[in-house]
Formats: sequence, structure tokens, C-alpha cells
Amino acid sequence: MYGWIWRHLPGNAWARAGISLVLILAVVYVLFQYVFPWAEPLLPFNDVTVDGQ
Amino acid sequence: MVRARSRIAGAISVFGELLITGGVLMGLFVVYSLWWTNVLADREADKQSHSVRDRWAATGPGALDTRDGIGFLHVPAMKNGEVLVKRGTGPKVLNDGVAGYYTDPVAAALPAAARGNFALAAHRDGHGAKFHNIHKLKNGDSIVFETRDLWYVYKVYRTLPETSKFNVDVLDPVPRESGKAKPGRYITLTTCTPVYTSDYRYIVWGELERTEKVDAARTPPAELR
Repeated sequence: MYGWIWRHLPGNAWARAGISLVLILAVVYVLFQYVFPWAEPLLPFNDVTVDGQ
Repeated sequence: MVRARSRIAGAISVFGELLITGGVLMGLFVVYSLWWTNVLADREADKQSHSVRDRWAATGPGALDTRDGIGFLHVPAMKNGEVLVKRGTGPKVLNDGVAGYYTDPVAAALPAAARGNFALAAHRDGHGAKFHNIHKLKNGDSIVFETRDLWYVYKVYRTLPETSKFNVDVLDPVPRESGKAKPGRYITLTTCTPVYTSDYRYIVWGELERTEKVDAARTPPAELR
């Protein structure tokens, strides 16, 4: 999977490494900005009130 | 034969990469929950606290204003500075790194009320983690609530380290579970426990000891010095 992505990136090894880094940062950004805030209330880690629900 | 074997090897390696990806995802989620939400919440709480203080300074003494925050909670035993207190205990409020007073399922009494229970909730971990050190509170410790015109000094008289989230009676105006039978001016802190999960709720009860007028320099009461 990651090997396949690596082979399909353009340029030499340095260019590919650079593009990979940008891709990783983009994924982390999307996770922190959109995915985790969405997932968090669905997970049972941070309910602090007594509410009977 | 060789091609079939390489196909199996390929499938296994994709499976392995998926497992690694899953592990990294979970690791990132931990980083998000325990670090990044704190960064965001502290920044937001700072901003809101400043705006409340600015408004206090601008308007001088007057009626209690519940719009952006009613005051600041100081709990020396928790060593977390001042915590802005706002109305409501929904995620939208609490995720900004503040404490909220209950409006549901039991409406909290505000400190100024002659009788009642000022019931608060805040996060134990992440989103500012304002009640992270709630377990450090012991009987006799002070909880000070600062409003524009008054310091309310409460003393802890009972802690309940573990109770069910269905136990809404802890918020009652007269919290019987804390051993009180008569109406008084109480404060209740609630958060989740054990740390990093929310299987149970941690409760701390205090009772108002005295109030002090805020002076021009906002000199804190002896408990905070």
C-alpha cells in the first residue's frame, strides 16, 4: 500500500520524501481538524457530567 | 505458483500496513485528546477570561451578568490557577477550557442565592483539564469563587471518589448523600473518573464559609495568598 504510493510519486528519492512528508502533514491536519473532533463525543472518554444519559 | 505466493505475500503486507496505520491513528488520537485539545481550550479560556475581566473593569460594581461567564473558580489544592465559570455543562461550553454550572438535569443555584447548591462540571483530561487534580481535594480545603463584587469562600466537607453518572441526586439543592439535611449554601464539583476515562463520576462537596467584598485592588482572600 505505502510501497505503491511511494512508487507512484514523481521525482527522485528526495523529492518523494518531501512529498511524503507533506502528505503526512496534510493527513494529520485533517485528522486533528475534522476527524477527531467528530469522533470524540462518540467515544466514552470525556463525559464529565452526571446527567443520567 | 510463484505468482500465487507473491499475491498472498502482497495481501499480508497490506494487512500489516493497515494494522500499523490503525496503531498510528490511535496514537495520534491520544496526542489529540491529551495535548492538542488542551492547547486549544487554554487559548480560548484565556481569551474569554480576559474579556470577562475587561468588562468587569469597564462597568464597575453592578448586577451579576451571566452572559459570558459569571466568575472565576480558584482551588488552591488543584494548582490550576483560575477557571472561568460559564452557564451550562454541554460540550460546547466545557470544551473551551472552562467550568460550567448545571442547568440540567438539576438547575444549580448561583452563589448569590440565599440557599442552594452551586453545582459545577469541568473536564478531567483534555479540553483544558480544569478538574484534573480533583482527587487532591481533602476535607477542609478551600474553594474560592470570585465574582465581580464578592469572594465566596467554600470549605470542602465531603468527597465521593466514585459514583454512577446516573446519580443526579448529588446535584440536589440539599445534597443528602453528602450528609447534609438542612438547606444551606453548597458547592458541588463533578468530573469524570478514573483519569483518562469516564466510567464513573467524582464528586466534591463544599459549604460556604464566608464572603468577602472585592476591594479596588482585587486583593484575594487569605486562602489564595
